[in-house]
Amino acid sequence: MIDALQNLSWILIFPGFVFTLAVGLLASWLVRKVSAIVQYRVGPPIYQPAVDVMKLMGKEILVPQEAQRTVFILAPLAGLSGVLLLSTMLWLATARITYVGDIVVAMYLMILPSLALILGSSASGSPHAAVGASREMKLVLSYELPLVLALLVVIIKTAGLVAPGEQLSLAAISQHAPVLSISGFLAFVVALLCVQAKLGFVPFDIAESETEVAGGVMIEYSGALLAVWKLMQAMMLVALPLFLVLVFLGGIDLSGWWLLWGIGKYVLVLVLVILIKNTNPRVRIDQAMRFFWFYCGTMLAAAVILAMIGNYYGIAWL
Amino acid sequence: MQQNELDRQLSRIQDKLTGIDRKAANRVFLPCEAENVYEVCRFLFSELGLRFVISTGIDATGYFEVLHHFSNDESGCVVTVKVFICNRESPELDSITPLIPGAEWIEREMHDLLGITFRHHPNLQRLILADDWPEGVYPLRKEVQA
Amino acid sequence: MDNGLLIIEEEARTALPIVNHQSSIINRLQLWSLKKSIWVFHVNTGACNNCDIEIVNLLTPKFDVERFGIKLVGSPRHADALLVTGVGTRQAAKRLQEVYRQTAKPCVVFCMGACACGTGIFEGAYHVAGPVDNIIRQVDPNAIIAYVPGCPPKPQAMIMGVVKTLSTLQPKEKYATERVGQTVVADPG
Repeated sequence: MIDALQNLSWILIFPGFVFTLAVGLLASWLVRKVSAIVQYRVGPPIYQPAVDVMKLMGKEILVPQEAQRTVFILAPLAGLSGVLLLSTMLWLATARITYVGDIVVAMYLMILPSLALILGSSASGSPHAAVGASREMKLVLSYELPLVLALLVVIIKTAGLVAPGEQLSLAAISQHAPVLSISGFLAFVVALLCVQAKLGFVPFDIAESETEVAGGVMIEYSGALLAVWKLMQAMMLVALPLFLVLVFLGGIDLSGWWLLWGIGKYVLVLVLVILIKNTNPRVRIDQAMRFFWFYCGTMLAAAVILAMIGNYYGIAWL
Repeated sequence: MQQNELDRQLSRIQDKLTGIDRKAANRVFLPCEAENVYEVCRFLFSELGLRFVISTGIDATGYFEVLHHFSNDESGCVVTVKVFICNRESPELDSITPLIPGAEWIEREMHDLLGITFRHHPNLQRLILADDWPEGVYPLRKEVQA
Repeated sequence: MDNGLLIIEEEARTALPIVNHQSSIINRLQLWSLKKSIWVFHVNTGACNNCDIEIVNLLTPKFDVERFGIKLVGSPRHADALLVTGVGTRQAAKRLQEVYRQTAKPCVVFCMGACACGTGIFEGAYHVAGPVDNIIRQVDPNAIIAYVPGCPPKPQAMIMGVVKTLSTLQPKEKYATERVGQTVVADPG
């Protein structure tokens, strides 16, 4: 009973819903503020993302007549719950309260938001949303494979360093920093771009391109349902860079001053994502597929080979 | 082609025109009969190689005027073919779209707004009037009140 | 730049937006969040594009409207404000009404430019289905409509129009007891 209550409080309050939401809205503000600074202007005030969500809650919810009602309403909630679980699990992994194999669960949970987006937009009954859904599907197909391969590089790299039987545990992997080797660095770059695509940021915001498909996947959503999508996107801003920090950059050490260093790593990844977002145009879907499969794939193949050689001969920097 | 060359060439179709009007150094008007308009335009477009600019339709109370403007880009001269249509009830004219595909839309617009029917036009449908605008009411005719 | 700012104030003062708000905004929190974060959607109902160019200018980083919470969205369902340009042509009238119905309420309609405010130079022409506010009132007699005149209105005048309109919106319980500035308050019903 106490266990169940504790789990529930973990999921709902800390480090779950309330905490992730607060950090997510803060991160969302950071994205807009850094973009504003890069564009030499003043950005929105710090409460802007929170006010956006509040305003959306107060508007009416319009469901199109030709939409599939159940899926239309449940899809955003499914996406939100996926991100919520992912974020809770990642924070618990930071605190080393987790299990072997959680990296696989994290991979599965990371797909949930994109899947929910595809389902929700397919259920919208609008041709624009259908185009957005097909683009999102192609994008997911493009970047999932490089992401898994990047994780494979990390697992190979840390295989010799962690205790046997713990190779697939985030808590164990996050004690090493694979980015300090050549193959790890290549894998980190690819994983960063995959995270960029998963967050739906330029250059890979093909699914939600405003000027091309009038809002793409979310065109028919309004009011509280749109607020749930925005919350989901804000929480992904917490979960995904944290995942990168845990896997590549050596995790967040929760003791004393090292905590600031860990938070600094998270902010660094976030700022990298923002800078890539602000200095690139949007790519077409065929360009994105070619980029992920061909270029990232080749880079990762080289990284895997380097990692295996390094592992075999015991060379740490390969 | 240069201006004097253009003047020489224009005199070749003088028999199809009812006159050559030089209003200014770079402005030439070629009034002609309705049945000759396709021939004159074919001469200007295919043989002289002038560029088709646009057409104009005018309701001049007693009759309709249709002007086809061609441009001689080298000398900056605009050559205009001027046709009078005296039949006010059902004005008709030969279309130049089979010769110049770019004239399709401007002739559709003239048909929408003035009611001039262009014979042999491939697609004489409504272009710019609203979908619920009544048929047979041509807004730019003098008798139509706003 | 100081000189320029003074002249803009003069221009905008003579072009006060007139807000008719028999609105359906329910409570103070809703109203406050709407004022702080207003997402706009741009509709062209037959404009010469001058006002559209000025609206697009408005949304560039030079004027930085994001600090007011204004953001351009791609779908009317996400929008809180419709920036309508152009005299309402017959062809566009039905479409504008459809877009208005699809905008999630509460929303504000901004008529940008002389043509949208009252047909401008197209007065009496054959293709005009009435200025934009008549078209909107056919669908929703209680619409909140603000007018920003000009041909085209400067981006600074548009910002002033939006900010002034938002500052004059009041929650429902205030209607019976107050007249607000130059606004016409009808029977709150």
